[in-house]
Amino acid sequence: MLDVGRHPNIDLLAYSEVQHIEGQAGNFKVTVRKKARYVDEDKCTGCGLCSEKCPTTVVDAFNEGLGMRRAVYAYFAQGIPSTRTIDPDHCRQLNGKKCGICQKVCQAGAIDYTQQDRLIELQVGAVIAAVGYDVFDPAQIAEYRYREIENVVTAIEFERLLSASGPTSGHVYRPSDLNAKAEIQVLEKQAAKSGRMLARFEKKYGRTSADFFMQYQAAPTDDADQEKWARVYQEDLARKERLAALNDAVKDAATAKRLAFIQCVGSRDFRFYPFCSGYCCMHSIKEAIIANEHEPQTVSTIFGMDIRAVGKGFEEYKIRGGNKSGITYVRGRVAEIIEGPGRNPVVVYEDTRTRSVKQEAFDLVILATACAPTRGIAELAATLNVALDDYGFIKTVPSAPVDTSMRGIFVCGCAGAPMDVPESVAQASSAAERAAEIIFQSDPVKEKAVA
Amino acid sequence: MSKEVLVIGGGIAGMQASLDLADMGIRVHLVEKLPSIGGKMAQLDKTFPTNDCAI
Ligand SMILES: Cc1cc2nc3c(=O)[nH]c(=O)nc-3n(C[C@H](O)[C@H](O)[C@H](O)COP(=O)(O)OP(=O)(O)OC[C@H]3O[C@@H](n4cnc5c(N)ncnc54)[C@H](O)[C@@H]3O)c2cc1C
Ligand code: SF4
Ligand code: SF4
Repeated sequence: MLDVGRHPNIDLLAYSEVQHIEGQAGNFKVTVRKKARYVDEDKCTGCGLCSEKCPTTVVDAFNEGLGMRRAVYAYFAQGIPSTRTIDPDHCRQLNGKKCGICQKVCQAGAIDYTQQDRLIELQVGAVIAAVGYDVFDPAQIAEYRYREIENVVTAIEFERLLSASGPTSGHVYRPSDLNAKAEIQVLEKQAAKSGRMLARFEKKYGRTSADFFMQYQAAPTDDADQEKWARVYQEDLARKERLAALNDAVKDAATAKRLAFIQCVGSRDFRFYPFCSGYCCMHSIKEAIIANEHEPQTVSTIFGMDIRAVGKGFEEYKIRGGNKSGITYVRGRVAEIIEGPGRNPVVVYEDTRTRSVKQEAFDLVILATACAPTRGIAELAATLNVALDDYGFIKTVPSAPVDTSMRGIFVCGCAGAPMDVPESVAQASSAAERAAEIIFQSDPVKEKAVA
Repeated sequence: MSKEVLVIGGGIAGMQASLDLADMGIRVHLVEKLPSIGGKMAQLDKTFPTNDCAI
């Protein structure tokens, strides 16, 4: 990543999109829209003071919604380019409210609320589309109750929970506990505020809130002050009750140690994608191995029709996971996930080896979601004038796996089909080579002679 | 006639393609829609089958 940012031959246009393209192989005219960051990339030193002081918090997409960030933010800590960006949907200043704090604190003078989108014109000989994929939204599979049961997560969410730089610093706490703790924080702040209000009333009228409220209930008055006191007191009681329940729920909060991985969520499923996404068996094994490295008591069950460990060193990895990292492989398709006592998800499945329907409770269930075409790929394909396949990936043929339907435009990685990192890298080198052929072939003298 | 290449998408595939071309001496414009490059791989803790740190 750093090499890309530093290479003298690479012009990095981040926070940008291709708006228009015309021409043919050897000669494409491209218009790129560079979106306004409201931060001057060249001036910003990446010190982070602006984010520290920004009063607006926003759900953090990089952490898959498991944490929060500020309205002026770095997409992730080591992101390249190392500049901040202001989120125009949430920033107060950009939405007509009073703020401007980040501009005041920025020593580099990098904040610019008047920045506009810029259009950049490019002339290129070849194009490579490497727009990747999206994680399939498992809420589409009603029987897995992804949105309803808090302790059912996707594999990419689990990656963030495992990551030392993630929202839990690599400790696998359960979302039910994380959410409860976040709610406790909010409620405690509110409780402190209402506590101060009640203290003021008590001082003013020289009696306790409880005494006042008993009398008020017996004989309500329409005095505005007293009405307010009664309301605040009632709300305070309800809040304290909720806080007690939440604190009780999290008092024995422990990291998740019994994990279930469910394979082929959206893949090899005729309701969604009939194909195999290829990398998910391997990432479930990987995540189970890492979880066990973090906490050696962790045991995992991987539920799948079969485990597809096709690649160099993959089968050995799978066997090592079984022998050394507490993984049990169960052949069967999971029918349903329900919520049991203790916020534990319960997996209902058929064990095809014993031909019986079984149930088992876990601390956390991880869904190995399918590789879906990235949002916006249809618009991009229309802009580039390349064909898509039946599922919405960029169309290729087996004998020319990085060529699109348009000469001079190539594809690599998950933009063309689901594949893992080693395959994406191999395809990338292949696409680079195909593009270079066009560049080196396009001899201007010869072209002129033809024209 | 242009000797430059446009790469769309700054995930592992787009980054690798850009580096290969740049190392051949070809000028590359790498367009990424998000504020930073890295793609999904930047979100991964470690990668199989070696469990190396992702990026
Ligand atoms: C949970 C999980 C764990 C995984 N673990 C592993 C592992 O351990 N090892 C392994 O080999 N593989 C793993 N994979 C697979 C791996 O994520 C992919 O193989 C790899 O990320 C594909 O890279 P890519 O560059 O094709 O796509 P992406 O990483 O998706 O990158 C695409 C880039 O293009 C950008 N983009 C999209 N649309 C546009 C547009 N219109 N204009 C400009 N930019 C655009 C995106 O923002 C993104 O930065 C895992 C996958 C998942 C879901
Ligand atoms: S305070 Fe200024 S220099 Fe520092 S990160 Fe924010 S915008 Fe960049
Ligand atoms: S101006 Fe916007 S980004 Fe800056 S501190 Fe205020 S809300 Fe945050």
